Amino acid sequence: MRTRRLMAALAVVPLLLTAAACSGTETSVGKQLTGTAPFDARPVRDGGTLTVALSQDPDALDPTTANTFVAREVFASMCEKLYDVDENLKIVPQLAAALPKLSDHDRTATIALRQGLKFNDGTTMDAQAVRTTLMRDLTLPTSSRKSELGAVTSVEVVDDHTVRLHLSRPFAPLAAQLADRAGMIMSPAALRKYGKNFGAHPQCVGPFSFVSRTSGSQIVLKKSPYYYDKAKVKLDELVYKIVTDANVRSANLQSGDIQVAERLATSDVGTLSADKSLKILPGGGISYQGITINTSNVHGTDKKPGTVHTPLAQHPELREAFALSLDRDVINRVVFNGLYDPDCSPLPKGSPYRDPKATCPKRDLAKARQLVERSGVKTPIPVTLSLTADPVSERLGQVIQAMAKEAGFAVKVVPGEFVTTLNQAREGKFDTIQVGWSGRVDPDGDINDLATSGGSNNYSGMHDPVIDNGVHAAAATTDIAQRRALYSKVIAREHELNGIIYLYHERYFLGTAANVAGIRYYSDGIPRFETAGFAK
Amino acid sequence: MGWYLLRRLGAAVIVVLIASVVVFLGVRALPGDPAVVLAGENPTPQVIASIREQYGLDKPLPVQYFDYLKHLVTGDLGQSTQDKLPVSQILANRIPVTLELAVLAMLVAIVVGVLFGTIAAARRGKFSDYTATGFGLLGLSVPHFWLGLLAILLFAVKLRWLPASGYVPFSENPAQNLERMILPAVVLGTGFAAVLMRQTRSAMLGALSADYVRTARSKGLSGPRVVGVHALRNSLTTVVTVLGLQLGGLISGAVVTEQIFVIPGFGKLTVDAVLTRNYPVIEAVVLVTVVGYIVVNLLVDVAYAALNPRIRLAGATNG
Repeated sequence: MRTRRLMAALAVVPLLLTAAACSGTETSVGKQLTGTAPFDARPVRDGGTLTVALSQDPDALDPTTANTFVAREVFASMCEKLYDVDENLKIVPQLAAALPKLSDHDRTATIALRQGLKFNDGTTMDAQAVRTTLMRDLTLPTSSRKSELGAVTSVEVVDDHTVRLHLSRPFAPLAAQLADRAGMIMSPAALRKYGKNFGAHPQCVGPFSFVSRTSGSQIVLKKSPYYYDKAKVKLDELVYKIVTDANVRSANLQSGDIQVAERLATSDVGTLSADKSLKILPGGGISYQGITINTSNVHGTDKKPGTVHTPLAQHPELREAFALSLDRDVINRVVFNGLYDPDCSPLPKGSPYRDPKATCPKRDLAKARQLVERSGVKTPIPVTLSLTADPVSERLGQVIQAMAKEAGFAVKVVPGEFVTTLNQAREGKFDTIQVGWSGRVDPDGDINDLATSGGSNNYSGMHDPVIDNGVHAAAATTDIAQRRALYSKVIAREHELNGIIYLYHERYFLGTAANVAGIRYYSDGIPRFETAGFAK
Repeated sequence: MGWYLLRRLGAAVIVVLIASVVVFLGVRALPGDPAVVLAGENPTPQVIASIREQYGLDKPLPVQYFDYLKHLVTGDLGQSTQDKLPVSQILANRIPVTLELAVLAMLVAIVVGVLFGTIAAARRGKFSDYTATGFGLLGLSVPHFWLGLLAILLFAVKLRWLPASGYVPFSENPAQNLERMILPAVVLGTGFAAVLMRQTRSAMLGALSADYVRTARSKGLSGPRVVGVHALRNSLTTVVTVLGLQLGGLISGAVVTEQIFVIPGFGKLTVDAVLTRNYPVIEAVVLVTVVGYIVVNLLVDVAYAALNPRIRLAGATNG
């Protein structure tokens, strides 16, 4: 039965590919929803509860240990950071008063803090609180921030409103790291009171304060009386509801049970866009998805690389042929209704660290077949593609299967449960795997841990001096032109090795009721609700 | 009866102990290391080792099991690895929700299933029999997730009669609670009603051809009285058996129904816990389910006696 269904699906894929290839243009919905959402500045009334549907249950709401993207969404409303990003992903001060001042050959960063700030438990936010937070991030054994702040050796309190970070080496991504969870300052009083259990009672500086959490169901926040900019905050309450199924999120949005739904399915975006009672805000674009090829990961990402005995691992020209057999534009149209950004770089489009002249190689079947022939490997060449078992990923796998077949690859798609698939990736028990990265503001976060030797997310097992040296050199300078040149070389080398075949940047679509205004939604895909409310 | 109950309770404790071993080992046999899951996007060896230490995953399996058992007997079910909330608190919040959903779904199933089954048997071979049988076939064939989405689209999106999802505790607002539970209860109860309908029809057909029914008819009792009182009462033993046996189906059905209607119940908790390798929650959930099964089976056995005095409990004769 399963085989028959698969055969039927495969029979349809070439037709879809042909239709999509012939269409030549993006869908009308795709055209309307490019770029990031313009800010809806309609005046909003005081009061009200906004219910927001999240696509996953966040992990513990502790900025030191949190790892999920959805937790970042909740933090955005209750845990402000030293720095934030603006609509152009430019780093701007949030709890800090200015960008870090570098001295001592870029080994010291002095950060001035805003004055008169209070945590949501009513205690004062000062330099000592910043030190307490950063030291916790650096020393808590289960901290996920330690590696992000790896270059920070000590934190010095200069005065009540100034801290000085001492670095072991020049570290350009510092401000970007402090614009994420590592920069979320926690109330020392709450840390003393709750310790490791802080995540169940989080207290930071933010427009909303934590009220309650019902495991797997909802998180309730209320307007904070201590927020420094509380006049801008109009909502009384913000409720994050966990609605994991994208169809259910859409239906709830249409029925009015929720007013905001994050990460709508691309298949629903067209229908919802046509509904006059709703608005669709496009955002995201810094994450990427691709196919990771196991080139040297034999015993796990934390072990030494070794020899992988698969045709793709053994023959670099076959990896190139595989990459050339794929048409990113067609994948985008067939699988994602033309709503994503096809790309061959880990860096988002528009990033100042990208070489503006760099282009992606187009699908070249003739060259792919030549490379296959040159490799001397007998066709069809077996390739196992592991991916997460969900309808969209499986559709993507089928399209890749159909495209690669034309170049001489016999791709076997193996869907699996997410944790199991991820485990296989880390342990090196895969041939190729479809996996992605949620993306970071600084390019170091998109490449360093994923492509350099020993990187904990380097599933491919790449260990190349050009990549390693380039990434480390780029992290040591703050000069944008210099970093751009270094990252261009690194990405060019990645294209030669094809340890990761980058396919596209995901776009996120935030659905809202038409009467909701004041939401800021940028390329980082995190909706910000401090000025949101119901239009007057 | 007393001895019988004591014996059953003793056996239940042994079953729970065996189940705790099976659950403990089964959970650890799942592919995917929870420490790696918790380490998220920064799975450095140091972070993974610290997480293993924090949750005692670095200890030998027997030590882990006895630690778990020690905490279990003191009522400490541990802390959820996902959100750091106490598992006992999570279960205390979730179990009543699923129980309410299960009770409402059962009510729907009993009313619809027994009514349709009785009508189908009483009017065998007629239009109403075919209609009820057709309903039974449909109810058994339609998957919950599809029916749930269809119900949301029709009643919440199109007609706007009922809310699409969510849960309000009964103690907070009874009207809103029932309003939000109608669709999930009907969706969950439909498949169950179909099973009950078929079983009731079959049992009623047997009962209606029995001698005592013929006698009742010959004594001049009215048709509804014969069917409703004499035949149906005797068929209820079958219905009660099915109710007990279908509890598992109801819980597994609740997994899907709770996901679709965003109800923070036991089923949704189970799925989320498995997907995040939340060991303490998975272990607690399975143990509670095992205990639930044991209790329900015991209640079913007791209910047999209440409904049919001819059934004698083996333990009762000894006691």
